[in-house]
Amino acid sequence: MSKTIQLIDRLRLGLAVLTAKTVTFIVRSLRLGAASVLPGEIARRIHPQLLHLLSCQVKQGIILIAGTNGKTTTSLLLCTMLERQGWRVAHNATGANLENGLITALLENTNPIGQLNADYAILEVDENVVPKVLQPIQPRIILCLNLFRDQLDRYGEVDTISQRWAKAIAPLPLETIVIPNADDPTLSSMGQQLRQRVLFFGLREPKQYLDEIPHAVDSIYCPSCGHSLEYQGVYLSHLGDFHCPSCGFHKGQLAIDSREWPQILIGLYNKYNTLAAVLAAQQLGVDDVTIRDTIANFQAAFGRAEELEVKGKHVRILLSKNPVGMNETIRAVNQAGGQTTLLVLNDRIPDGTDVSWIWDVDTEKLVERGGTLVVSGDRVYDMALRLRYSQQDDNNGLQLIVKEDLQAAIATALEHTPANETLHILPTYSAMLEVREVLTGRKIL
Amino acid sequence: MNHKMELTIGWLYPTLMSTYGDRGNAICLKRRCEWRGYTVTVMPLDQNATAVDLRQVDLLVGGGAQDRQQEIVMRDLRGAKAEALREKIDNGTPGVFTCGAPQLLAHYYEPALGQRIEGLGLFDFVSVHPGPNARRCIGNLVIEVTATRLAQELTAMIGSTPYVIGFENHGGRTKLGQVEPLGRVVQGLGNNGEDGTEGAFYQNAIATYSHGPVLPKNPFLADWLLQTALQQKYQEPILLAPLDDTLATQAREAMFKRLRVSVPIVAKQR
Repeated sequence: MSKTIQLIDRLRLGLAVLTAKTVTFIVRSLRLGAASVLPGEIARRIHPQLLHLLSCQVKQGIILIAGTNGKTTTSLLLCTMLERQGWRVAHNATGANLENGLITALLENTNPIGQLNADYAILEVDENVVPKVLQPIQPRIILCLNLFRDQLDRYGEVDTISQRWAKAIAPLPLETIVIPNADDPTLSSMGQQLRQRVLFFGLREPKQYLDEIPHAVDSIYCPSCGHSLEYQGVYLSHLGDFHCPSCGFHKGQLAIDSREWPQILIGLYNKYNTLAAVLAAQQLGVDDVTIRDTIANFQAAFGRAEELEVKGKHVRILLSKNPVGMNETIRAVNQAGGQTTLLVLNDRIPDGTDVSWIWDVDTEKLVERGGTLVVSGDRVYDMALRLRYSQQDDNNGLQLIVKEDLQAAIATALEHTPANETLHILPTYSAMLEVREVLTGRKIL
Repeated sequence: MNHKMELTIGWLYPTLMSTYGDRGNAICLKRRCEWRGYTVTVMPLDQNATAVDLRQVDLLVGGGAQDRQQEIVMRDLRGAKAEALREKIDNGTPGVFTCGAPQLLAHYYEPALGQRIEGLGLFDFVSVHPGPNARRCIGNLVIEVTATRLAQELTAMIGSTPYVIGFENHGGRTKLGQVEPLGRVVQGLGNNGEDGTEGAFYQNAIATYSHGPVLPKNPFLADWLLQTALQQKYQEPILLAPLDDTLATQAREAMFKRLRVSVPIVAKQR
């Protein structure tokens, strides 16, 4: 909320903002990039408390969105809801979710003398950065979507992340609203321990239970006593209806009935994203008609179930960067019935340099259907090897095509896609950016 | 003879200990049996498993775990079960143990936070996490296998020096006692980033920090495990049918090239 800023801070803030805006202007004029990180970095050096000084000027408050999967989609959905309600919203839409990215997003809505003009700010924040930014940001709402194994090379292990979140949330004002996923045992447990106002979202749809618990599961042990959790059913990965037979710990009380709400896009994970956004929007006074309307007309974010027409063929890009996300995209691909799939595996910093996770994905479910699988990316042979070892029977009609060169891989995949079918592309993060560049930049056409 | 052969692969705590794609090792061994027409069973050795189950297995696989999961495993692996596993490994049942699994077979592991976790003491080494703020050992890992007998047998099998390629991702640092290291580090950090050793080799048990997972990209290691297991079980010399490992060779070559590590390419298996 708005607070008075001292004159000296105001001057330094102005200098920082002016510099950042100049940097943005130069970067964009010279077409050096999107300028989603650098201006924030430079401005923060001029004023170390910049994040706080910008945050406290947001009129109605900040919504912080954290979690392994779904941050970008949920942010975009909530942002659209608030805008349709007539609010002005600052938002780190490019997905730059480290501290500098957050500052840059706020700076975009700031005038040259450092005055920020926004009713709300929606900031998606990297799991690891959450504890660091909670104090300066003082969010009004914290959305905790899920915690899965992702980029363990940077973060270490999931247990420690939720503990660090809980510790960082504890000193925040009691009127802070925390919206955790009740179906995620770790987040359920965290929510039940907080003194702040906690509203749980989750599913109440036993029809959506999986037949078995998938392999890529991180946490099926009771967060309070360590005993194995009992699941009445699993929705995806370790998310489900659970309780602990030993200490009585159970799923948090839902503040929203999932059966009453439609969802955006395809895939059960988008149902979770939808519910989280709905609950937050309701707390901020968005009316239900606007909420339903936004869900019905929602357009996918960059590379998240994004759909394109290329060479007269239908293409759907499904970002796949960790075992749970990729298992879900495989489920969506299989349900859509596509016969041709392109997998692109990179191991750059934004992807995570450790590609071992592909062995935790149930690629068997993609392979056993047959069809054509084209593989590419920096680690093309690692992915091809994973698919090869997914094949129990050599004669199920599967065609595995390996193309080191991404443009050639995309061209081949398009050739193998019949006119009335959809080509599904499953890329890691940096691969997704490259794929989009090839497809929309018409490099191959 | 081959069509009659059967193999049981015991997988230690599949839900608790498979943190970084380590189940790839179990998948690799299973498929290489299936492609050759052997009957193969992968037996999960989780909390419900008994000492009797453990005694049935011909080959063992164990992966990494988060610290809390590691504690749950160590609490479970006591008494008759621990004894059965000890007998198996002491008597030469082959196995591949990655990251957390070797720590529970060794003397102890000290996690970043919390109490020291005692192991079975089979491998003569200890592992200590230097604290929550210490850097993790992360990156592509290449080692030359130097454990004497294993190196000899692998060299005979592939016709060149055996280089193992993988990815390490661990907080703990391992100090070896009298046990032989698995190999010497060519690229990466290995056991502790100081003495140039990686992993350990005891009887027929391979301990390593190499994820990747290690077997699919080093198929000669998988075949050595299978061959050793079959020979032990059937008490006769076994010659495994060759498989098409073109993709594995390409994956190795691509990474060696990127790392600018010059190693001989594994020749066709005989």
